[in-house]
Amino acid sequence: MKIKTEKSTLVFNAAGYTFLTILSLLCLLPFLVIIIGSLTSENEIIAEGFKLIPDRFSFDAYRAMFTNPIQIYRAYEVTILVTVVGTALGLFLTSMAGYVLSRKDFKFRNGLSFYIYFTTLFSGGLIPWYILIVNYLNLKDNYMVLVIPGLLSAWNLILMKNFMKSIPDSIVESAKIDGAGDFAIYLKLILPLSTPGLATIGLFMALAYWNDWFTANLFITSEHKFPLQFLLYKILASASVLKTNIAGNLSPDFKPPTETLKMATAVVVTGPIILLYPFLQRYFVKGLTIGAVKG
Amino acid sequence: MNRKIAKRMSAFVPLTLTAALLAACSGGGSGSGLSNNGAASPSAGGNDGSSPSASAPAADSGKPDTSKKVELVWYVLGDAHQDTPKVLAEWNKRLEKDLNTTVKLNFTSWNEWQSKYNLLLASGEKVDMLFASSWADFYKYAKQGAFMDLTGLLPKYAPQTWEEVPKDDWDTATVGGKIYAVPNTNPEYTPNGIVYREDWRQELGLPEIKDLDSIEAYLDGVKKGKPGVTPIGGKAWNEVYTLFTDYYDFKVYGGESGVIASTSYDKPRDIVVYPFTSQFEEFVKRMKTWADRGFWASNTLSSQTEAGDLIKAGTGAVYWRNAPGAGGFITDVSKTNPDYKLGYFPYTRFHNYAIPTLPMANAMAVPKSAANPERSLMVLDKLRNDPTYFRLMTYGIEGTHYSIEADGKTIVTPPAGATVAKDWKNYDIASWGWRYKPNMLDQKGSWEGLKALNEEFAAEAKPNIFDPITMDYAPVKAEQAAVNQVIKQYGQPLMMGLVKDPDKALETYRSKLKAAGVDKILAYVQEQANAYFDEKGIQ
Repeated sequence: MKIKTEKSTLVFNAAGYTFLTILSLLCLLPFLVIIIGSLTSENEIIAEGFKLIPDRFSFDAYRAMFTNPIQIYRAYEVTILVTVVGTALGLFLTSMAGYVLSRKDFKFRNGLSFYIYFTTLFSGGLIPWYILIVNYLNLKDNYMVLVIPGLLSAWNLILMKNFMKSIPDSIVESAKIDGAGDFAIYLKLILPLSTPGLATIGLFMALAYWNDWFTANLFITSEHKFPLQFLLYKILASASVLKTNIAGNLSPDFKPPTETLKMATAVVVTGPIILLYPFLQRYFVKGLTIGAVKG
Repeated sequence: MNRKIAKRMSAFVPLTLTAALLAACSGGGSGSGLSNNGAASPSAGGNDGSSPSASAPAADSGKPDTSKKVELVWYVLGDAHQDTPKVLAEWNKRLEKDLNTTVKLNFTSWNEWQSKYNLLLASGEKVDMLFASSWADFYKYAKQGAFMDLTGLLPKYAPQTWEEVPKDDWDTATVGGKIYAVPNTNPEYTPNGIVYREDWRQELGLPEIKDLDSIEAYLDGVKKGKPGVTPIGGKAWNEVYTLFTDYYDFKVYGGESGVIASTSYDKPRDIVVYPFTSQFEEFVKRMKTWADRGFWASNTLSSQTEAGDLIKAGTGAVYWRNAPGAGGFITDVSKTNPDYKLGYFPYTRFHNYAIPTLPMANAMAVPKSAANPERSLMVLDKLRNDPTYFRLMTYGIEGTHYSIEADGKTIVTPPAGATVAKDWKNYDIASWGWRYKPNMLDQKGSWEGLKALNEEFAAEAKPNIFDPITMDYAPVKAEQAAVNQVIKQYGQPLMMGLVKDPDKALETYRSKLKAAGVDKILAYVQEQANAYFDEKGIQ
């Protein structure tokens, strides 16, 4: 059976879709400029600026980047490894902690929650953190330093806890009556029921790991351990140092990367993570609302 | 069917949008997440955890003991070259044989190198030697006790360097009577100046550039004679700002974010706030006429384009460079645009004297927390003075990165006879800290004018009396931040002639500076500078 659509609804829908499509296209524009910029010839950018339709296409930037692709491949490996391991481990820890905190029969849950929440308000700051990792944990220039600090974040924990609170107690109770242990309940019941929450937090974590260049900047010194984003920042930073007073000391051979190379690097680095979104989209809308209540 | 596709499409597009938004948000999120974790860490003090043997030199004379194998950690600024691991492997092979030592050379990269540098020194991490410089806050850190006192160690562990570095150079590395760093030995002149299109000047019959009027005539001639060319393209701030300070011989304190200056080299104690001088008034009026005649674009302050790139693209005519930088740029252009002819006018010719860079502008220092300062100094001694070591670490591997001409003093890059890729890069790391003039090689094909310029500068050199004055502005921090803001908001547009009425804008600028508390900074700078001049006996 076909439901008849009113004419006014039809017009409204048409107008709405057109408007949203135009708006979305406008939002895509900057990214398009990056892609096209990476394909334009360098001289044209300098002389005439960025254009949507360049006079001459050129693959020089990509060629330059992939003449020595080992570093990029290597950086991809590091980033993917860190993201996968970090997200999987992080999700496991976050969901376990969240589950414990959401159980009403856990006596210290409020105190512990506050203890965790407290760290979002007051943090030790950069230098103590640096000293802890370098001098006490001896993690300098170690892959683990890229993974460990991001494993548990107070914000994700609170999100997880609130999400799990929405799972009715009776489910846990019934499982208990059937003879399931705490870990079995967590693994067999709570986890499957929390998929939207897990997907959202997983996405947050994956993004945080993927985009994290700061930890690598501070702690990683060996070139072959650089993650992808740090490689990108390194290229951009070497361009901006020319504008500071150090420029006088740099050797005359020091050449900043060309505009096109910057764009091409951005494309290569952003590409994969954008593809992740469509797959997680269906969890995403649902997941977003779980952040609505905090604390 | 069509509708279905349309529906899918329209659902997809906003989704991508959200994706982009979230990608942007999460960048900040990851940072805060990290500091959250940091919160749980115990707050530790300065140098605990690692109080290594900062042992004074052993009493025995003669050769230092190298029987124990040691691995050192060194830091320099900037990025490694693609082949750095190969070079280091070679270096370590030699070091192990000669000194029973290996060095792990780390690079800070240019991302936030200042905060990283700060962390290295503040955390007491085990670093045996790192790059230090007057512009990287050497004097501040030395005063705070971040570096190890090398006075007693140098004669024993770096005897050759100790002999060869002149006393005056050691003085610049001395704070409170103690030597805290080994300055480089490479007298250099880096005065401001402009690179310009000499071929256009001749073609258009313009006067030779030798003073401010001829610069103006050149800019005007190019603007009129070459349609489509903006004489100073892109960001013209450097060109104009340095023209101001050097033309009137103002010696500005605190870089371009400062407004306090000595009125000239000969009157260092006459310290003023330069926007209040009649010279400044004269200058901004002149710049107003320059801007109106289109010598630079009206968006020049926000432009991120390098004027040099525009010269290469054929739409620019003037580029600010210091003398060695000009040499590099002119060499570069001779490859990309062989039909161009470029000239260089150093601003030193306004007043006919040049100031060499401070030896402490590039140096190597040992942090307080170093585990093996003795061995580190021995390596440095070897690195500076042994040509094979020096060449390896400065120019790379012979045959792979360079070859030496028959005269033994000139290097060729890429090496003679080698075929290299289009984007081949010279071997180049931040080797500034161990520069030692007798070991440095000239590069073939570099701009010949630089040699003549250096001779010109050396002949008219005056001692560098301004750079060693170090101020941390701690007591006037708030005022300084306010003044910086005023400079950006009112000062820069005024100096670039981008205001409607210069008289009025100047008045506003002055009153805003007063309101921001510039007098307090003036008093602070006067006090600090005069204290230094008293100490050194400069009148």
